[in-house]
Amino acid sequence: MISKVVKCPKCSYKTTVIGESGKKIIITCPKCNTKGNYLFPEEHQQLTKTSDSIAIEVNGLIKTFNGLRAVDNISFNVEKGEIFGFLGPNGAGKTTTIKAMLGLIHTNSGEIKINGYDIKPSGKDAKKFVGYLPERVAFYDNLTALQNLHFYAEIKKSSKEDCITLIEEFGLSDSVNKKVGTFSKGMVQRLGMARAILGSSPILILDEPSGGLDPRGVVLIRNKIREMKNKGTTIFISSHILSEIQEICDRVGIINKGVLVAQDTVSGLSKKLNLKPKITVELEKMSDDVVASVKKVKGVDKVEKIGKSIDVICDPKTKAKVILAIETAGGNIINLYTREPSLEEVFMRFTEVK
Amino acid sequence: MISSPILNIAKKEILDNVRNKWVIILTIIFASLTLVVSYFGSIFSQGWQDFGVTIAGMMSLVQFLIPIIGLMLGYAAIIGEIEKGSMSSLLSLPVARFEIILGKFFGLGGVLSFTILIGFGIAGIVIGVNVSDVNYLDYLIFIGATILLGLIFLILAMFFSTLFKKRSTSMGISVFLWFFFNMILPIIFVGIMAASIGIEGLVSGDFPEWYHALTLLNPLSVYSALVSLNVGPVSTIEGISVSYPAFYSSGVMILILLIWIVGFLILTFWKFDRRDI
Repeated sequence: MISKVVKCPKCSYKTTVIGESGKKIIITCPKCNTKGNYLFPEEHQQLTKTSDSIAIEVNGLIKTFNGLRAVDNISFNVEKGEIFGFLGPNGAGKTTTIKAMLGLIHTNSGEIKINGYDIKPSGKDAKKFVGYLPERVAFYDNLTALQNLHFYAEIKKSSKEDCITLIEEFGLSDSVNKKVGTFSKGMVQRLGMARAILGSSPILILDEPSGGLDPRGVVLIRNKIREMKNKGTTIFISSHILSEIQEICDRVGIINKGVLVAQDTVSGLSKKLNLKPKITVELEKMSDDVVASVKKVKGVDKVEKIGKSIDVICDPKTKAKVILAIETAGGNIINLYTREPSLEEVFMRFTEVK
Repeated sequence: MISSPILNIAKKEILDNVRNKWVIILTIIFASLTLVVSYFGSIFSQGWQDFGVTIAGMMSLVQFLIPIIGLMLGYAAIIGEIEKGSMSSLLSLPVARFEIILGKFFGLGGVLSFTILIGFGIAGIVIGVNVSDVNYLDYLIFIGATILLGLIFLILAMFFSTLFKKRSTSMGISVFLWFFFNMILPIIFVGIMAASIGIEGLVSGDFPEWYHALTLLNPLSVYSALVSLNVGPVSTIEGISVSYPAFYSSGVMILILLIWIVGFLILTFWKFDRRDI
């Protein structure tokens, strides 16, 4: 539906008409009763040109379940070659967003493009670029690990020879010909990661990749993610575990109750929230003079004395001044640690306040 | 027309289901029963001409067992994968939804046909040894009709597997479908007829035409009509010989069976396309 203002050719009275583009209507001028035809102009197909540098484009995504908005108007872009962390507490809408990105669920509105291909009309083309690790990894239990991967390789039209190598790379060499039904949860997760990487898709979508893994598995998968990034793969990772994401992500989006509450680099987010680093200074001998003089430094928010060391929360720029103040007050510094604001803090701030 | 994802999925279904212990058990049961029926049917037969009782015996065996196999292969085909989680991975691959349905239908249909061929193959050997003038073309028609019947129940179960949110519901409806087509529907039809023409009319075997038309709603009746029309002479197990009305023809019967298959295939595509995984 479009609305247009039309002018009566006789009396120049202006009136608004509403109709479909390309449709012809007869208008009667409300002032002088002159009748005339009006053809609504053809709507120009919006040529939203996706920049070549964008791998995943999500625009105004809405998905409701039984009237409840699980995903509420989410928009974001993931640049080619970057690692994008998608964070949020359980039930925030992460998996729903990912499923919509792959066309697994039908959305109420919004547009999703993978490498420029719209997932709705050209899903098959769009999905050619994607390797996916679902939240709940499952295989065909009656088939062996190798038979399973062969099946996926066939459909992805990728080399079947790589399957064995991949299984071995994920530490499952002993189980190549065992039925997946006999696998432990961690083994299934590893095989799931192998499946996602199979065919070296340029985009990886990983939903909670460290779920069900032991620490060794977590490290294995994290190294694999780094390796894929170095190859130029775009990686989209969802997680509710923050520490690992913080280390590997270029940018993060934070989702809470279906709403994307923040989207930035980790340091950018801290800056926005005015989160400050914490310096812990270990002294040879604690003295009240030191504490007093640190408190006097401009830009210092909080000073806390813990045994022989003090914790100082301050602007990043005043770090040097703090150290200078300690030394002038006669403090002898033994050791010094700086802790940058963690994603955890950012995350808690965003998800609690709302 | 057949793109390769359909073949890949069909191949996977076959590989996955030949190890399904229920498929193996039912194949063995079907094969042994056809062996028994064909053996005792054929040793007392003089030739293909008075082979009707054996055909009838095989037919009722088929009507009981083949729907079970079809339903069993189909009821979890979609919902089973959704519940387990493997459907998400399958759908994340460059494959269209209708290709998944077709691939599964062809694969599971292949397993079903294989089961039928084993059963009929064993029976065929037994009959061939004991009966001198076997009409092999008739026998092939019998096999073909049986495969069509199995495919109907397979796609019916697949449709409900796409419709329901739980594997257990889909299984329940499959059990119901078996009872419905094998017991409930025939009883309803006969009941309607008995109310209309009385018990005498029932015993005479001279059924009104509308009854024959009504029974065409049941694919099992269509199947037995198709076999009787081609393979005959067939008398029913109850010993009542029934003569069919003029509008019964092989073409009509095959058409009805195909409409069931294609109709439910389309319904299954339609439902699966709209489903959230």
